[in-house]
This record gives sequence, structure tokens and C-alpha cells, in this order.
Amino acid sequence: MSIPRVLNRRNRILLKELTKTDFKLRYQGSVLGYMWALLRPLMMFAILYVVFVKLLKIGSDIPHYPVYLLCGTSMWSFFTECTSQGIQAIVSRGDLLRKISFPKYIVVVSATLTAVINMLINLFVVIIFAFINGVTPDWSWFLIIPAIIELYILSLGISFLLGSINVKYRDITSIWDVIVQALFYAVPIIYPISMVASTSPLAAKVILLNPISQAIQDIRFGLITHETITTWNYFNNIAFAFIPIFLTLLTLIIGSIVFRKKSKFFAEEV
Amino acid sequence: MKRQIGSRTEIQTDSDIAISVKNLHKSFNLPTEQAFGLKQAIFNRIRGIKGYKEQKVLRGLNFEIKKGEFIGIIGRNGSGKSTLLKILAGIYYPEKGEITVNGTLVPFIELGVGFNPELTGRENVYMNGALLGFSNEEMDAMYDDIWKFAELEDFQDQKLKNYSSGMQVRLAFSIAIRAQGDILLLDEVLAVGDAAFQQKCNDYFASLKDSNQTVILVTHSMENVRKFCNRALLLENGEIIKEGNPDKIADAYLKLWS
Repeated sequence: MSIPRVLNRRNRILLKELTKTDFKLRYQGSVLGYMWALLRPLMMFAILYVVFVKLLKIGSDIPHYPVYLLCGTSMWSFFTECTSQGIQAIVSRGDLLRKISFPKYIVVVSATLTAVINMLINLFVVIIFAFINGVTPDWSWFLIIPAIIELYILSLGISFLLGSINVKYRDITSIWDVIVQALFYAVPIIYPISMVASTSPLAAKVILLNPISQAIQDIRFGLITHETITTWNYFNNIAFAFIPIFLTLLTLIIGSIVFRKKSKFFAEEV
Repeated sequence: MKRQIGSRTEIQTDSDIAISVKNLHKSFNLPTEQAFGLKQAIFNRIRGIKGYKEQKVLRGLNFEIKKGEFIGIIGRNGSGKSTLLKILAGIYYPEKGEITVNGTLVPFIELGVGFNPELTGRENVYMNGALLGFSNEEMDAMYDDIWKFAELEDFQDQKLKNYSSGMQVRLAFSIAIRAQGDILLLDEVLAVGDAAFQQKCNDYFASLKDSNQTVILVTHSMENVRKFCNRALLLENGEIIKEGNPDKIADAYLKLWS
């Protein structure tokens, strides 16, 4: 996976066309079409808002909590969509792999890029809501860029790793569904991390070492309120804050190595 | 499971050899029981069962193809023709041996790869073109010709699922023949469409022969072997049992059953 091959003209054309097709097919045959990319996060938000803000009255201590919640759920759906599409990419594009020869990572990247497009649409919605909710634009908004990139790198690493195992052992898809369900509660999306911190600071620390929590909290810090607890301001020793970043990079490296080794036999095994 | 890997290299030189294959071996591990899934994998590991059976498909092939040759590869079903083609195309990895491809290679393992029934004819043309390495702009330039050759101009914006299978193949063939490469690999794609369209296909192959294009053709049609090829290889059980003059090889192929 050397740089010149990544930038190779043919691969670029292929990546672009595959991503376009994936995106088109996603909303094929639905009346509202692309509008669903916008409607899905809004509906999800409406449900969470009613349940957690109105009924359970969580998050009154956090300014702009509804947007804070929306921001978290959008980024979470980005992570789940990215990984579930990425893991299945090789198997669902098996017909292509069996008939033409091209770098296999293109299939995975194109599948995850569809999730990136959806995430950008969601982000746009979040920003509109932030304005409505009275959040003032700030230079710290740019902080979300590295955090989103980190989340994408993590998703890509997971997709490479589990996607290549999934070719032979299709159980991976089901196992990952369960893991995602569990992770949802291990990441402070619907509950504020301050709720955990008040009862067990140690648990809060463990939660914040998870790269997904770190990235999502960073995005909330940058975009919505500087009162957000992040991995950077919660640990006394800043060195701890690099653990999630290290884990993210490690996932990508392991994922790429495994993928590279296994990809030679995808065409035969898929 | 450790598998040895042979090599496949692509080069660009003036040498008059287009493809050289040395001692090529390939076998597949065919799952014996339902060996998909973790449960089976763990069971098999415990019981000491391999979970797969090794099937030798190619056993030590050696040949060279010169530039400008039109080579026919023939053999019975299961003799290893398609596997050989897929290894030459870089889809499968050689298990043992050396393959050198000199120049750009365009494989047609199947027509209409990546065709999606839910997309329109237009969208499928661009997608299929991208798989052959054509950018949007390049496809724009040849777009009208593709539809004219396929004789399907009125169906451009119909979804592909509303095409008959013959129409799909015609469209795929019209895109495929735009591909430019030093070496063409064709797997049984001659027999498409009705009689009139077949004539067009025949003309295309004749033009390839006249322009001294290097072509490797895998086929069961002895008529085409005699008509287009300069040389033929006869495969049986993963070995080349005869090679040379297409007429003689075609006769030998027909004698396999007598």
C-alpha cells in the first residue's frame, strides 16, 4: 500500500465511481431519497431528546445539552455506519474481486466514504442546531477536524482488521453488532460523563481512554461547549491523553498488516 | 495455514515476449464440510480435521506468448483454463512459479462486471468504464459510440433490470471493446447476442487479429480457434498436453472424447 499506488490514476477513478454508486444505491427506491441521510439523525435525536432530556431530565448541568446530545449521536452513527459498512465491504463486493484485479482496500475505503458523506451532512445539521440553540461560532470549531479524522482512522482500522477475517468467518458481522451495542453504553453519548465522574472517577477515566469517547468529547468541546469533560482536561497527567491516539494508530497498523496479508486470497475465498 | 506464494511481475520492455509463465502451480483448499463460521473452525481444530481438501488445479505450466500472437487456450471443463486466466490477470495468486507480464493487460473474465440492476444504463456504463480504467471525461467522449454499437440508444435511462439478458450483454460488450491494452485476456465472451450482433463481434475479433493485438482467448468454440488463433494450447488436468497449430490442437481437443 505504498503512496504511489494509492494515488494511481486508475485507483482514483475506481474509488470515486464505487463511492458514487454506493451512495446512490443506499437510497435507491425510497420516496425521499437522499433526504433520509438528514432525516435519520433528526428522528434519532427526537427520540433521545424526549426520553433523556424531557422524561429522565438528564444533562441539565451541561449548556446546550440537546445539541450536545445530537452531536454525540451523529458521531456515534458515523462510527457504527463506517465500521459495519467497512467490515462487510469485501464480502458484498465479492463479485468484483473475483473478476477484476485491483487493490482490495479500495472497496473498503469506498464503503466507508459513504459514511463520511452522511456524517458531513449530519455535521451540517448539528451546526445549524447549534446556531438555533445559541452557540456562538468560535475558533475552537476547527478542533473537530483532527477528532473526526481520528474517528475515521479508528473505523478504517477496525474495518480492515475485522473485514478481512469476515471473509472466512462470517460470524464477525454478528459479533460486531453485539460489540457495538455494548460500546454504545461504554461511551458517554446519551449520558453526560460528569454523571459517571461524580460516582466513580476511575470509571470515568477508563471511559475516557476509549478512543471513541475521546474523539466524541473533543468534538463536543470544540463545537458546543468548553465545559465538556475531555480526555485532555480530565487527567492530571497529559501523557494519558495520548493513549487513545496511540490505540487508534495501533488499530490502523494492525488492521492494515492483517488486511494486506489476507487480501491476496480474498478473490478465492470470498 | 501457510501458503507459499509464487510471483507475478508486470514490466514494460521492448522484448518481444508478452507473457512468460514458468513452472506455474495452483491448488485450492476446498472446504469439505460446511467450514464457514467460527464454530466449525474450532470444532475442526479440536478434532484435528483440516476442514478442507486440497485440489490441484494447475501442475507446472510453462509457456511463452509473443507480442502480436492470438493464442487460444482450450480444454475440457475443469481442466484449469479459467484459473490460469485469473492468475494471468492477477486475480488469483500463483502458488508456485513465475509469471512475467510485459505491458498493460486488460482482462475480460466476464462481461458486465459490476453491472447493477438497480442503476440506469447510463450509470452502469460509467461504472463499468471505471472498472476498465476510464475516467468520466473519457467515458463522455465515447459514450454515444457505445450506445450506437450496442444498438440500444433508446434504453439509456432505463434501469438495467428492465433490460433483457441479451441487451445487457450487448451493452457490456460494447463497453468492453473500448478498452485499450497491450494484452487482452478473453474468457468465452464471443458468443453474445443475436446473429447480427454476433457478426459484429466476429468483425471485432478479426480486427484484433489484423492489427496484431496480443490476445489470449479461452474458448470451447473450435470454429473460433481455427478462425482467429495463430497458436493454441490444450489443457488437460492442469497440464499443457499439446500446443501448436490451432487446427491440429482443435482436432486433438475433439478427440478427447473418442
